[in-house]
Order: sequence, then C-alpha cells, then structure tokens
Amino acid sequence: MQETREIIDGCLSGSRRDQELLYRRYSPRLYAVCLQYSGNTDEARDVLQEGFIKIFENLSAFSHEGSFEGWMRRIIVNTALEKYRSKYYLNRIDDIDELAEPMADPGTDDFSGLEAGDLLNIIMELPPKYRMVFNLYAIEGYSHKEIGGMLKISEGTSKSNLSRARDILQKKVKVLTGITKRMVNV
Amino acid sequence: MFDKEPNIDIVFRNGLKDLEVLPPADVWANIPAMPVARRRFGMVFRIAASIAALLTLSLVASWFSGNNGTVTSGPELASMFSDSEISGVADLQKPSAIIRKLTAVAPVSNPVAIPEREEEATIENSTSLSLPAIALSQDEADESDRKETNTHTTEDAIIVIPQRFSAFPDQTGQLALVEPNKSGDERFSLGASLSPSMGFSGAPEDIRLAELLSSEKGVPTYSTGLTFAYKLSPRFSIQSGIGVASLGQIVTGIDVFAGLSDFYAVKGSYLYRVETSSGMVVSGNTDLYLSDSKNRVGTFIPGGMADPSKYPLTQVDDKIHQIFRYLEVPLLVRYKVIDRDIDMNVSGGMSYGFLVQNSAFAMDGNNMIPIGHTEGVNIHTFSSQVGLGMEYSFSKVISFNLEPVFKYYMTPLSNLSGTLSRPYSFGLLSGFFVRF
Repeated sequence: MQETREIIDGCLSGSRRDQELLYRRYSPRLYAVCLQYSGNTDEARDVLQEGFIKIFENLSAFSHEGSFEGWMRRIIVNTALEKYRSKYYLNRIDDIDELAEPMADPGTDDFSGLEAGDLLNIIMELPPKYRMVFNLYAIEGYSHKEIGGMLKISEGTSKSNLSRARDILQKKVKVLTGITKRMVNV
Repeated sequence: MFDKEPNIDIVFRNGLKDLEVLPPADVWANIPAMPVARRRFGMVFRIAASIAALLTLSLVASWFSGNNGTVTSGPELASMFSDSEISGVADLQKPSAIIRKLTAVAPVSNPVAIPEREEEATIENSTSLSLPAIALSQDEADESDRKETNTHTTEDAIIVIPQRFSAFPDQTGQLALVEPNKSGDERFSLGASLSPSMGFSGAPEDIRLAELLSSEKGVPTYSTGLTFAYKLSPRFSIQSGIGVASLGQIVTGIDVFAGLSDFYAVKGSYLYRVETSSGMVVSGNTDLYLSDSKNRVGTFIPGGMADPSKYPLTQVDDKIHQIFRYLEVPLLVRYKVIDRDIDMNVSGGMSYGFLVQNSAFAMDGNNMIPIGHTEGVNIHTFSSQVGLGMEYSFSKVISFNLEPVFKYYMTPLSNLSGTLSRPYSFGLLSGFFVRF
C-alpha cells in the first residue's frame, strides 16, 4: 500500500489520482465524524465535502509532526463547528448558572452488546447543542472553557448541555441494550 | 484515569473510535481538483540543486573543451591573456601568443607547415613544436611589430596554440610546456561548496544549562550552497551567495515510547515538552509517550486524565534528535596571501541565517519518527567565520578550494532566558569555482 507521505507529496504536486487515493483512504472514517457532529446525512455530506476542500487547500501546511488523520479530523470538526455556528447560533439557549457535572455510576451498566452504528445513531438523535458539547468534551477531549470559546457559550452552559446529553444518552443506551438483550434471549 | 469518568463517555469514545461509514458516491465528484501548492522551501532546494547540477555539467564541459585548440581574434586574445598570466615565462608576453604568418618572421630554418593563406588556422593536438618555427621572443615580436606597424591588418593570420609553450627550448630543443594560467582578468567567480563540520556549544555559567548540556551531544553537520565572488584586486575579493547550514544535537536519556494512540484518544495539542539547551521541544505526535529521569520532560496531559506509563507501550528510542536548518547569506572578504600554483587564502566575514527547518525526532532503527519542534529557537541568526584555505586552479576558469573554517554564532541559538547556547563549529569547506 502506498505510504501516506507519498500520497501527500503526490497531492501537493497536483496529482488528481493521489488526491482521490487520499479521499478514498480517509473519507469513511471522516464521514463517520461528520455524521457524529451533523445529525443528518445531508449536512454530513456537506461538511465532508467542505472539509476535504480545506484539507487539500491546506495540505502544504501539514508538517508531518503528529498524526495526519488527527490533523484531518480537526479540520473536519472545525468545519462542522462552523456549520453549526452559522445554522444554530440564533437558536442558542440562554446561559444558565454553572452546574456540577452529574457523574454516572461507573461500571454498573453493561453496554457491551452495542454496535458502533447504534452509538452513532443515538448520538445523531441528540439535539444539536447537546450533541456538539458531548462530542467536543467526551470524544475530542476539550475542556468546558475551550468548548465555551468554540460555541460562544459560557462554561456553565457547556456543563449543563453535557449533563443533559449524558442523561439522554444513558436512557437511550439502556433502552437499546435492553432490546438487544431481549433479542439475544429470544 | 478512565475509571473516574462517567461510563457513558467511555462507551461512546471507544465505540466510535474506529467507526467507518462509506460516504455518498457523489461527494468526491463535487470536490474540485486542487491546484498545485508546493512547499516553499522545497522549491528553493530544487532550484539550488538544479543550479548545482547545471554548474557541474558546465564545469565538465569546460574541462573537456579546454583541451581543444581554438582560433580567435586579437582583441579576444588580449582579454584572455594578461601580462601576469604566463607564469614562469617572463619573456613570453601577450603579443607572442599571437603568431603571425610565417612570411613576416625571418629567418626560419624548419618551418612548420602552416598555411600561407592569410586566414585563421588551427594547429590541432600539437604537443611539441620546433622553436624557430613559430615562437618569437618579446624583443623579436616588438621588432617585428615595429617593422610591420603599417602593414598589420586584420588579414594577419592569428594562431593560438592549444597549449602554451615557453619561448625557450628545453634540452631536447622542443618547446617546454608551460603551466596554464591560473589567475586572469576574470573578476567574477561562481562556485558550489560543501562544508562538513562538527558543532559544539560553549561552556555555560548557568547551572541548569550546564546540566542540560551534559546530556547533549553535537552531531556532524554541514553547510552547502552557491557562492558568488567578485575580485576587487589581484589579491582581494568579496564573496557572497546563498546556502543551507544544518545544526543539530542529540538529547540523551529521553525514553520515547510509541503506541499511545491505541489507548488514549487525545485532541491535537502538544502532549509533552522537553527542556533542552537550545529551547523547549514540544511533542505534537499524539502516538508518543516521553519520559526521563532528569526532570526535563513535562506533560500537557491534564491531571487525572491518563497515566500513559501504565499502558503497554513499545520503546523506540532513548534519545531525541534536534535539527535546525538555516538559509544563510554570507558576506566574506578573501585575501590571497600566496599566489602560486596552489594559492593560499585567508577569509573572514559574517553570515545572516533564516530558520527554514526546525524538527525533533526519534529513530526506530532506520525509521525516523517525528516528535515535534523546538520552541524558542531564534529565527534570525548572525554568525562570524574565519578560514584559511588553499586554492588550486585546474585551468584558467576552474579551480578547487579546500578551506578549514571556524564558525561562531554571535546570536544564541535559543531566545529563551536561561538557555543561551552559542554554538560554534569547525568545518572543512571544499568546492569548485568557475571564473568568468
């Protein structure tokens, strides 16, 4: 298999074939990220398309330090954030007082039977503001302060949204797990 | 660390980590072909390499063409042969390089068969000729000039012997081969040079810096580039050009482990910093875990988030390599101390450097693993250098230079306080030069 570095060099030299090779290699994983942030396939395909255009435009800036996939993922996430800000900014919820993060009881739930596709569907069903905060905090590892800056909300709102997102996800996962177990027992 | 987080976060983080979903088929068709966006300095290096290749070809071509006789006119010859060109043959001056048609020279006992026609002609592949046939001493030439002052026209046959000969015969009665000219009127020269060197850092007063330096080693480095010189006088010349200077060091005692990304999904910021004498190395490779026993490695991983030392990671190296490359523009003065077959030169001057590459990496066997870069490295540097060199001329236009050089960086490599390291290096500059 052709090395990623060779493909990047080919893309930089203007090779359309290498650009397509890069797209074919990484688009499935990045499209999953788009779906995770977008909530529906139409918006996800727009994010993927815009994101890849940015990736190609900025490819020369990649310094080969760190993960190339991580670099692309950040571009995709930023593209999804721009989309979210332009679409949902006017519908933002009011800031509320800072809330303590409710901690789920660790290790008491058995979610082992869940497929990745199920998890993606659950996360896509979340309201956008909860989905964004959950993705940025739980998946990407950003702090509430950073998330507040990205989404133009307060840290308190970020924590609140995260709390509500977790509640919703917990319930849906439990329901789905129950259904799965019942199906296995049948 | 994960067991302190809500379980639902872990479920989604791990569950979605490797998820792949095929995108709609028409997305690729809507992504336009991207224009060529070449890396800036890659282009510079390619141009420099092309020029160096062309120069090499030119030198080879000049070398071969220099062995063939040529026919040219008087003014061109006058510019080619100055009074000082013909070393070791004081009486063979410029006019004697021009051999007039035989009818103007008397008496001739064993004339060489040179065409009587008043045309330019060439003697090819001649290695020895009978003296009386063609050569004139300066006095004879002058006398001949006086006698023919009124008759010299462009119709005079002008012959340039492919290799020059002494006006005086050797013991065999043949013309003695004369050393080719090595210093003409050519004032410009262009060359390509390479200087391998060894870098060192000065002894610091700062205790911490001394401690850091004790764990660091200089590595063989090099400078290479194109040089352009202008001769102000027979002995003085100024020199400039453009080149790349590479500096580097090895930081020992840093254990580098790979495989962190298999266990710990992180965002894209730097995870580790490593204190070195030349600045702070920041690690942008999220797959690596760094540690050492000298309190040089710090982590940006938030407390309680993870303890990578507990993961089964693979150690790939026990040191870090730092490389800094500067695009350099020197300005030097060169003085020719001895002007012989092998010239001796002293040179000195300054160079301005602009940082074009700053990288830190580990080695896994022969594979280079990027770590990150060094923060605080000065983008602009000024260095001074002195050299004592030898120059050997292969021909009138081509010479080879060999010059031990001492170089000292006047600006410290790092602009971080407490890490003022001023490296110096000893190198051996060598290169070919062509004059024009």
